[in-house]
Parts: sequence; structure tokens; C-alpha cells
Amino acid sequence: MSRGRGGAVVITGMGVITTLGDDLEKFFAALMAGRSGIGYFEKIDPRVAARVGGDLSSYSLEDCLRRQPGQVPTVVIDRLRRLVKSSPLSTQLNAACALQAFRHAGLFEASMDPGRLGHVLGGHNLTISYLLENARTFEEEPEFIEPLLGLQAWDTDVLSVTSEVLGVRGPSFLVGGACASSNVAVMTALDLLRSGRADAVLVSGAPMDLSSLLLQACVLIEAVSFRSFNDQPERASRPFDARREGFIPSHGAGALVLETEAHAEQRGARAWATVLGASCASAASRHAKPNFESQLAAISGALADAAIRPTDVDYVNAHATSTPLGDAVEVAALKQALGRRAWEIPINSTKSMIGHALTAASAIELIATVLQMTHGRVHPTINQEEPDPELGLDFVPNVGRPHGIRIALSNAFGFGGLNSSVVVGAP
Amino acid sequence: MTRDDIFSALKRNMTDIIESTRGKEILESHRMLGDFQADSLEVVEVISRTMKQLKTKIPRTRLNEAKNIGDLLDMFMAAQVSARSGSGAS
Repeated sequence: MSRGRGGAVVITGMGVITTLGDDLEKFFAALMAGRSGIGYFEKIDPRVAARVGGDLSSYSLEDCLRRQPGQVPTVVIDRLRRLVKSSPLSTQLNAACALQAFRHAGLFEASMDPGRLGHVLGGHNLTISYLLENARTFEEEPEFIEPLLGLQAWDTDVLSVTSEVLGVRGPSFLVGGACASSNVAVMTALDLLRSGRADAVLVSGAPMDLSSLLLQACVLIEAVSFRSFNDQPERASRPFDARREGFIPSHGAGALVLETEAHAEQRGARAWATVLGASCASAASRHAKPNFESQLAAISGALADAAIRPTDVDYVNAHATSTPLGDAVEVAALKQALGRRAWEIPINSTKSMIGHALTAASAIELIATVLQMTHGRVHPTINQEEPDPELGLDFVPNVGRPHGIRIALSNAFGFGGLNSSVVVGAP
Repeated sequence: MTRDDIFSALKRNMTDIIESTRGKEILESHRMLGDFQADSLEVVEVISRTMKQLKTKIPRTRLNEAKNIGDLLDMFMAAQVSARSGSGAS
């Protein structure tokens, strides 16, 4: 549908870096196969109780860059190499992921006005691990901290490096919403495009570099899984299952190019999906505890923004982190928001395979949603061994299947009562 | 550490960080900013990395007194002497 002077908004490019693959084909194949990308964090302090997770700390950026097809100009690859050389993991992954989305959108061949290209980065607190390493160096000798820490200590550096690599000159900023950050970034990009402030917007779902400190802090508030599955990490992320006991943190990045339909048509770009609507709501609470009313407001708000009825929704990519309370409250909110439709459609959890990529999660999951829509298949929710009788919906247990999707809903809920939903439609 | 050792470390970092130095001869009379079109951040990176690798500190307040690479080498040499005599570099 057309909203505002910018008109309808479409997704023309996507890129992912996850433990299940760093290109769209590999990623989707692994999701459909029900593979787990969960193992152990290599570089986490052994005293931290939660070591299970999706680890990309040894990810080879060089391998990724070497595999980029010819559409990426050498000068861009060289610029990326130079800029991220001494940068934190978050900056490296974000730039490489955004480069993929740019290539997928065909923007390297396009002659678009860079001032009409925006960049909204979803995320914050992205480089805690890097900052802690420097804090330790500082304790030994202040002169020997990283020379560019004065720039890199700011989360904006993750955005700015990517913008410099890709030559983005339009409206650019960060939005933060904890684990809802990327959905909020999509909503913000949608608003920029609808309002006519930009013709295309790169949305970076930025990765966090996941420090020992943060993981231990999540153990203290009992948000992560650290009890039953330490010897079988691939079984630890089990959203909706009766034995779920907390989320599994993971590294990961997702990037999307959103564009006005008119601009995409003008340059002959393929639209992979239409962004129909988005919404976010606050629970007015600093708590990590999920809030039914606020989640309901986010879901209903997105459906209203998209001007669709609950019965129009064909599929839900749930936030579903594998926490006992979180999954139950989300299912209750979906039942309330969608009514009977909630029992008729598949609802799955990408996190069952890749874990929770936190600030990047909803960008990756929106990409998973669009890929399922494109291929007419839904991926499984793995580790479904003991159904939770309280939940009782179709979570696509363990095996994916063909399923046509015209309209999909993707949820993302963050600590501090920050809840968001995005609705996309087939192009 | 000899002046040659310090110069080698500095050249290695310059080649690594400042693209325009690659394949070129680096002389003591060269200026990083003027002769190699390095930007100010690259200069900071070269000097900081060299200081860390050589475990030598040059007072930041004095760095802008170096007009060329030779001056910088003088400062590294002086910092070593200063550290050995226990007076500290900063």
C-alpha cells in the first residue's frame, strides 16, 4: 500500500552473517535443513557459567570478501579492508554484511544520488568486549590503548565505517531498542522513506561483540540458558518446548536495503518483499520480564499500520527466545491479536537454530521471513521434543515444509519493555 | 634498541597502515603527512602502535614538534634513555 509522499516501500537487498552461513543461499538451506549453529564461545572467560552460544569470534572476514562476486568494485573491498583492519568484531561484521545487502540490491551498479541514500543502524552497546580489553590495557599502561579508541568507543563508528565503505551520504543514525533494535530500525527506515526524506535506506542489524561481562550479567538475571544443555549446545535453544530454560546468545549480523517502490522500479531493481507496516510500544518498565499488553499493542499496531486484518496473516516469525515466560507471553499475545488465525498458521523460531543475535536478531529474522516467503517454504523450529501444553500452536516442529506466504509478521521484543513488530507482504 | 631497530619498526607500521608508502623508500627526511598524504588518524595509529611494540612512551604533548621521521626517531631514542635513567617519559 502507499503511505505518505514516499509511496510503498520494498526490500531490494539483504545480507546475513550467522553461524549458519554468510550468504543468503547457505543460510536458507541450513534453516530448512534444521541445522543448529550453536556451539561454545571460544573467547569467553572460563569462569562464566554460560558458554553455550553462536560464536563468530574467529570469523574470517578475508574469506568472506574473497567470495564476493564480481559486482563489488575492488576499490570498495579495499576500502573496507583498510577501514576495519583494527576495528572491533562488530564493525567488521556490520560492514561486510551491509556490503552483501548492497550487492544484492544491485546498488553498486546503480547511479543513485548518495544524498538520497540513508542508513539506520539498529543496535547499541555493540563493542563492550573491545572496550573491556582496552580497559585492561589502560590499567597496565594508558598510552598503549588502541590508537583509534577515541573513535571506536562510539557505537556510531560501526555505522560510520559502513557508510564510508558504501558511500552513504543521506540521513544516517542509530536507533536502539535492545533485542528489538533491528525491527525499530526497519520501522524508522520505513518512516524515512514514507516521508520522502530518502529514496533508499540501508538498515544495519548490528552485531554485539558479546563480552564475558555481559554473558555473566545475563546469567545473574537468569535470562540465558546455563543449566541443562552445557554438554549438548545444539539442544539448548528450544523455543516453545517444555524444557526451554533461557535464551542462547549469538553473534550475527543482518542488513537490508529498503527502498521506495517507485525508486526500485525506476532503476529496475527486484523487490523481494513489500514492507507493509511496523509498530513499536513500550511497557513503561525497565524490567526484562515480558509484558502481554505491550506486545499486543506492538503486534496490533503493526497490523493496523499495514491496514490488514488478522486473517490476512499467513505466517509469524516469532521473537521466541526460548525463555519459559517470554515464549508463553508472546504466544498469548499472538492468540489475542490474531484470534482463530493464530491456530491456523505456522509460527516458527529462527532462534532455535541460530540463537539470539540480540541487537541484530530481528534483521536476521526478517531476512529469514522474506526468504521463506520467496521460496514458499517454512523452516522448522528445532529441538521440539516435549510440547508445552500451555502453548498449543503450530510451531513447525523439527521439520520444515512447503507453505505459501502472502503476508508475514515478525516480532522482536527487548529488555526494558521495548516491543516491536513488522509486517511484510509478497511483492 | 638501536636507531635502526626503531626505524625498522616505524617503517613496518607505516607500510602496514599508510597505503601510499607501499613499495616506496622511506627516508628520515620524509614527513608522513606531507610526503605520503597520510591522514592524521593514520599518523596516530603508526606512532601509537610503534610505541606499544617498543614499549616506549613519547609524551603526546611533544609529538607535534617532530617535523619529519628523523625527529620522531630522535624522540624514540630520547624516550629510551629517559626510561633507563628512571626519569620516565611522561
